Amino acid sequence: MNHDSVIELSHVYLAFDRPLLEDISIAVARGETLVIAGESGTGKSTILKLMLRLLVPDKGDVFVDGERINDLSFEDALLVRQKMGMVFQGAALFDSMSVFENVAYPLREHTDLDDDEIEARVRQKLEYVDLDPDVVMEQLPAELSGGMRKRVGVARGIANDPAILLYDEPTSGLDPLTTGTVSRLIRKLQRDMGVTSVVVTHDMRSAFRIATRIALLAKQRIAFLGTPDEMAASEDEYVHDFLGDI
Amino acid sequence: MGNHHRRARRAEGTYTSLRLLHPFQRIDQWARRTVHAVQLYFALAWKATRFIFARPFYTGDIVQQMDSIGVKSLGIVLLTGFFTGMVLALQFSVQMAQFGATMYLGRLVTASMIRELGPVLAGLMVAGRVGSGIAAEIGSMRVTEQIDALNTLGTDPIKKLVTPRLIAALVMMPVLTILADLVGIFGGNVIASLYVGIPSTLYWRTVWEQIAAGGFLLHYVPTDFVQGLFKPLVFGGLISITGCFFGLETSGGTEGVGRATTRTVVTASVLILTTDYFMTQLLLYILP
Repeated sequence: MNHDSVIELSHVYLAFDRPLLEDISIAVARGETLVIAGESGTGKSTILKLMLRLLVPDKGDVFVDGERINDLSFEDALLVRQKMGMVFQGAALFDSMSVFENVAYPLREHTDLDDDEIEARVRQKLEYVDLDPDVVMEQLPAELSGGMRKRVGVARGIANDPAILLYDEPTSGLDPLTTGTVSRLIRKLQRDMGVTSVVVTHDMRSAFRIATRIALLAKQRIAFLGTPDEMAASEDEYVHDFLGDI
Repeated sequence: MGNHHRRARRAEGTYTSLRLLHPFQRIDQWARRTVHAVQLYFALAWKATRFIFARPFYTGDIVQQMDSIGVKSLGIVLLTGFFTGMVLALQFSVQMAQFGATMYLGRLVTASMIRELGPVLAGLMVAGRVGSGIAAEIGSMRVTEQIDALNTLGTDPIKKLVTPRLIAALVMMPVLTILADLVGIFGGNVIASLYVGIPSTLYWRTVWEQIAAGGFLLHYVPTDFVQGLFKPLVFGGLISITGCFFGLETSGGTEGVGRATTRTVVTASVLILTTDYFMTQLLLYILP
């Protein structure tokens, strides 16, 4: 286990009906933004689920903050997950709750803050993601646009000030302008709060804007791992094809 | 590679996979899956029950579920109860007239409503209305990753979603059943006085005679009531756990949600009717 890394996958194998991941080893360094890219169905999102221990590898180890999380009990896994914020592909906001209740949820569950403190924190997080609290707080997720939902998802993810943020396809289904806004937001979070981020995406334009390093998954394995500059300069045929005309 | 393709294709749907296999393998796979599902079902029921006594208590969710399971089911449960009581009185009056025993109409309607039809019909109505609703809601939460979001936010989805529904169903099913019994007996009264010509005072006296005839548990509780209230308690548990189970097991997008609701209604209804028989056997043995 590498002690500088916040999250580490070490020789991880996972198969469902077919092999999905084979001998995957990645270490995410403190404060970096690691982008995991690859074609659809290559198991990118599965890697996030392994990091959250929503899935357990068939073989190999997963470490978070130096702690091996493979064999944790369900209750202990919930504690590990509290260190992380996750932004889901479709935002996964609780649609029976208002925007305020969604962002306040992790605070109500895991802190002793009183109502005023919670409201102040929710307002602060919504403003941070460029939403007007007075406008959106009482709205239901169904009343928001895709981009707004995604930003509320980010606000909920950072409500607890987690040290690690995981993003599943943060820009999929968004128009180019909103994609830019979300990419800037991810960069801003890394800069301002020093959070360690893992971003799963196949949007390479956005990947190049936000990544410290990029891992490219292909055929169950990591086909490439390096900085965006190294990737752009790569002679590898598959990397070349994947990047297309970016 | 070809083999991988076949396996991947097989994994796409349970039904496709079963069709491609040898009959014995099919039975074997079906049996394994069923046993596994039963295991998961009981594990879910056990965990949800254990969480009733563990902090944090999601009181707001419990109250909200009581409203949606109990208060909002009141209309259909009362309506079916009333008409069932009326149809019972009508049928019994025709049969009993042959023996000149129509004055006992109240006794028969009461016994049938309290012991059997009240609990079973309320159970079936709630299974259709509430069980399917629970499966649809939790199933949609599953396919839109809201269940994963709960897990990620450090909340046990069983504690947050299943336990409040279980508590609400356990409390509200007996209440709904008592009300269904009452309006059913009242429905019998309406037919008895309007159609058969039995005065209401006589009808209600025979109702009380029936309640008292079974004897009393601990001097005060009529044994008919014990039977009539034990059943809805069990049905409440069955409906809520079945809905939650199929909801949490949902896969395959919105189509999967549809499948989950259908399975819930079918399974819960079958479970209600079969456990009803066994509970009746048991209760007749314990409280003759």
